[in-house]
Amino acid sequence: MINLFGRRLRIFRPRSIWVRRVGQFFFFALIALISINYTLSETGRGIPLLSNASLHALCPFGGVVTIYQYATSGTFVQKIHESAFILMIIGFFLAIVFGPVFCGWVCPLGTVQEWVSSLGRKIFKKRFNHFVPVKVDRVLRFTRYLVLAWVIYMTAATGTLIFSAYDPYFALFNFWTSEVAIGGVVILTLTLVLSLFVQRPWCKYACPYGAVLGISNLFRIFSIRRNVATCTQCSACTTMCPMNIAVDEKTVVRDHQCISCLECTSEAVCPVAKTVAFSTRGAK
Amino acid sequence: MTLSSKPLAVIVIVILFGGILLSSSLGVWSTETSKQAAAFTTGEFAGQANPADIRGSYSLADIEKNFGVSPEILVKAFGIQTENPAAFTIKELETVYADSPVEIGTSSVRLFVAFYRGLPFDLSSQIFLPKSAIDMLSDKPLSAEQKAYLETHVAGGISADASPSAVTTPLVQATKTPEPSSDRLIKGLTTFRDLLSWGLTSDAIEKVLGLPLPADLSVKVKDFATANNLSFETLKLGLQSAVDALK
Repeated sequence: MINLFGRRLRIFRPRSIWVRRVGQFFFFALIALISINYTLSETGRGIPLLSNASLHALCPFGGVVTIYQYATSGTFVQKIHESAFILMIIGFFLAIVFGPVFCGWVCPLGTVQEWVSSLGRKIFKKRFNHFVPVKVDRVLRFTRYLVLAWVIYMTAATGTLIFSAYDPYFALFNFWTSEVAIGGVVILTLTLVLSLFVQRPWCKYACPYGAVLGISNLFRIFSIRRNVATCTQCSACTTMCPMNIAVDEKTVVRDHQCISCLECTSEAVCPVAKTVAFSTRGAK
Repeated sequence: MTLSSKPLAVIVIVILFGGILLSSSLGVWSTETSKQAAAFTTGEFAGQANPADIRGSYSLADIEKNFGVSPEILVKAFGIQTENPAAFTIKELETVYADSPVEIGTSSVRLFVAFYRGLPFDLSSQIFLPKSAIDMLSDKPLSAEQKAYLETHVAGGISADASPSAVTTPLVQATKTPEPSSDRLIKGLTTFRDLLSWGLTSDAIEKVLGLPLPADLSVKVKDFATANNLSFETLKLGLQSAVDALK
């Protein structure tokens, strides 16, 4: 808020964290090219100097689902390799320190949802991302933990990568191959359509890996913190949050859905400097 | 300490790619299987590669390396037409036999290799082979049970010299419902409760498993083996010996 000729005017700075957008595009392009290279390599061709690893080898959630089998027999679930396990460890480390930055900065499926949502925002304007009634939304936010429990149980019981038959992330980068399952394509399509109405619907309601990383919000070292003394209660932070978190009602965001995108901070949408920041406890 | 977006972006990239580089330098970063089939751990065939562990990503050269069955034999058995047999991967079979009414794929290769090399193999699943493959197994020392299985699991019509497109319908579609486990013969449907009801003790079962019994005794031995990455065929042999010893 500023005073101009005696009138208080709300000034939104529609800035976003551009470096995040660049990073998201980079990781999307990288995974897309690696997936294409994987297909090409099966026909004896390929892109030089680029990995031709399978998508399963580069998905940190593969590491999560194989934990049980690795602990009980020292082996990985079929199609999962050491790389997925290492990426899982890196993802956990990043989450403990910075929260689910993998979701907000790296995950290509989250990126694609944001791209589609930018179109939805133009169509529906203020109604965008507010179609689901708050009470229903609050309950639905926990369904991703049910998905997580089901995936881990089924993978442990069958010893196979059961989730790949429904995984929209796998479908996104394999829709041109025979490996893609119809279940994955259907869920991907549904996710993209819903993204026109809701920001990151897969992340909010169904992503099992987001569910795992989301737990880190309860104890992470760097958090989104609001300075109550300088906050003008303009609600810009809450309005901008893709995950519909009421940032303006908190001093520290511990919501399990925060993805550390920093879009609510004073670096982006908050109009008052050093009021919403990504910081450790006690930071000035 | 406060962090803005640019340092955070740099830190995320450094940790992500730094972790990958570090694990690579330590030799633990791997994005593919070693193409080394798991071996039988117990019994007469202990130490030998287990055909049940053949994966769709294996090439025919990988099969030869693990089991000594040459690409030429497999090409002839499955009617594969390729200029480079060694590089042909098993999962491509599903494309070759896309028009077949029964699945000819990785399981078929597992079955063929097991019978060709005289190795144990679980026959509780419905796995089909092209006639050309069955013809090549005719001179192998198969048991009566194995011969009977092949007779009812042939994807009909094709000979060793025919094109895969000649595959039509199975000569005999196996529709036999698995028999109940009351005959004290361990099959794919046998549960741990069955084993206990036959008189085996928990200790005797755990000795064969090398693991504690599952809390849910209705779990099938086969599912337990799969979940724990054990060879069902090996467990079956060990448990059947223990059951037979009770008689």
